[in-house]
Amino acid sequence: MNSILIIIGKIIVAVLRLFRRNAGNLPGIVLWHLTGGKCCRMFKVDCPVIAITGTNGKTSVTNCIAQLFEQNGKKIIINKEGNNLDTGICSLLIRHCSIGGNVNADYLIFETDESHVPVVYSQIKLETLVVLNFFRDQLDRNGEMETLIRKINGFCENFEGNLILNGDDPNTARLGRANQNNKNVKYFHAKPYAFATDTIFEASEGRFCPFCGEPLEYEYYQYSHIGKFSCKKCGFGNYEPYITAENIDLEKSVFTVDGHEYSPKLNSIYNIYNMTAVAAAAKLYGIPKKITDNVISNYTINNGRMETFMLGDRKATLNLAKNPVGANMTLRVMNEMQTEKELLFVLNDNIADGLDVSWIWDINFSVFDRVARVVTSGTRAYDIAVRIKCSGYPAEKITVLPDLDEAVTELAKNEGRKFVIANYTAVQPTRSALKRYADKQGGKHE
Amino acid sequence: MNKIKILHMYADMLDLYGDSGNMEIISYRCRMRGIECIIDKYSIDSPQPNFSDYDLIYIGGGADLEQQHISEDLSKCRDGIEAAYRRGTFLFLICGGYQLMGKYYRDADGTDIPGLGLFEYYTIAEPNRRKRCIGNIVIRAQLAGKSVDVVGFENHGGQTHNVKTPLGEVLYGHGNCTRSSHEGYFEKNVIATYMHGPCLAKNPEISDYIIGYCINRSNENAELQQLDDKLEKDCRQIMIDRLLKK
Repeated sequence: MNSILIIIGKIIVAVLRLFRRNAGNLPGIVLWHLTGGKCCRMFKVDCPVIAITGTNGKTSVTNCIAQLFEQNGKKIIINKEGNNLDTGICSLLIRHCSIGGNVNADYLIFETDESHVPVVYSQIKLETLVVLNFFRDQLDRNGEMETLIRKINGFCENFEGNLILNGDDPNTARLGRANQNNKNVKYFHAKPYAFATDTIFEASEGRFCPFCGEPLEYEYYQYSHIGKFSCKKCGFGNYEPYITAENIDLEKSVFTVDGHEYSPKLNSIYNIYNMTAVAAAAKLYGIPKKITDNVISNYTINNGRMETFMLGDRKATLNLAKNPVGANMTLRVMNEMQTEKELLFVLNDNIADGLDVSWIWDINFSVFDRVARVVTSGTRAYDIAVRIKCSGYPAEKITVLPDLDEAVTELAKNEGRKFVIANYTAVQPTRSALKRYADKQGGKHE
Repeated sequence: MNKIKILHMYADMLDLYGDSGNMEIISYRCRMRGIECIIDKYSIDSPQPNFSDYDLIYIGGGADLEQQHISEDLSKCRDGIEAAYRRGTFLFLICGGYQLMGKYYRDADGTDIPGLGLFEYYTIAEPNRRKRCIGNIVIRAQLAGKSVDVVGFENHGGQTHNVKTPLGEVLYGHGNCTRSSHEGYFEKNVIATYMHGPCLAKNPEISDYIIGYCINRSNENAELQQLDDKLEKDCRQIMIDRLLKK
């Protein structure tokens, strides 16, 4: 039976390829139906499986961990295109397995959607789970965040593999208590950076101890609700970190782990946490320092995460923001620049974005500094315009152009530095529009 | 100069889907008109304020966990809030705030969280956490004798029953219960609704109904200056056209 299913899957892949269609998800969807929702069960996996989940940073951390093993000479399989649901992982394995369902690799490394962790890893044995953070993101698709955490917690109750957790996120760290018998829980942690605060700066969740309900106390907040927290009543948060990022200096773009200094290319507190998770995985699997250093120092991404475009002689930086934390980050970077600038904000509300756009109200636009003009675009161009207006920004300086090419042309009209924020489904169309404009002007795309 | 005093309760805990944005919008619309707008915050273990000092009491929505945390504290405020409401303080309540003013809220685990019982309605959460009323919503409300189509975003497992005077008729979406005909609760000084988005973002008429009510308490003849709401109205119209397919 398994073999028949696998052959069906492989035929679908072949047909899709014949028509030059992406086989990232469809074969899995078909098999999902044929197997009554258990489409990952037909594979025979003997090698270790590492899964990476969390709201922000999954793709970066997955790619980096994969590189650790690759550069160490291992054969890996990774879901690079971010097909991170059970159907996506099934589609990937179909392409890499024998007719008997044997998957031939040294390691499988899967970015996994938060809500699909229990689904996929009840079918495939998991060795290591890395959990980065939980923020409000696409809440209307997943139900409330608490439901989501409970689901993963339920999975962790019976999980005895390695659990690498962000010890500075109470929503994540609580998973460490799900199974008292699991001796393989490892927390990563970061010492405060220059912009850490005593009080919370951006909207957040997880204010209370999930175990006893006491308000959590923070020594410092790095960003949003990420920081050194503890519960004075039950001691939640008092753990010995497995790995700690220290001497974080974003100006020089360096940080230290276990006495070794790393110089990442992507320079944000956000990325420091991601890279600390990578360093934790490297330590766990005994990856040589040289390789870890090479991966962390050279990792960069060209997928709309702090990506630069030249619009004629005007420099534009595009950053993806799936949630307020991401957008606030871009605004921070933008404000730290001491010149006049203009912002294009592209907001879509497609299914993958979560139909709801109210998260834009948790973005702190009142910090706008020397922003000369704002252009808005996307299917919800007006929503973001209203939001920015109500933060006190003059309405006459806001131009709404739902059409992306028109919006980019408008943005490039005046002199000066440009920033572009786009949400999930908006980021690729925005990249294309920026590239089209840049190519027309003979500009280069860095 | 006209002045409004607002008490924003549990702002640090009940703030889902941009609910705090409602306060930003009210204060923005006051500022544009030269109305002084004071927003005080109250949260668990703050000293009890004199609720009747306020023209408007605002409570947003939260997850079950947060709602359990505040319910005990809220019950201590019961007499103060009820007295204020009887004296004409406006209550603006979103989602969890809406539910907690009714008789009780039975959460998905079957635990009853007592409400303040100011109103006759009660809420029972759908036991299946996956089954939620989620999505864009359009309702037709009557405000100050005018019919207005209001657009928001709902996401609630709670099914609110026994609502005698709803805020509006559902044109698209769920409302008080799954696929119900009506949404929210309304009295002349109460607007309670499941609409997030935040609720006031593209519905300036609701903001102005509330602001108008509040300034008229101390100055009967005060008239609200018209603001330029073109962005808000275009924003709403696009959603109405899309959802109701013209």
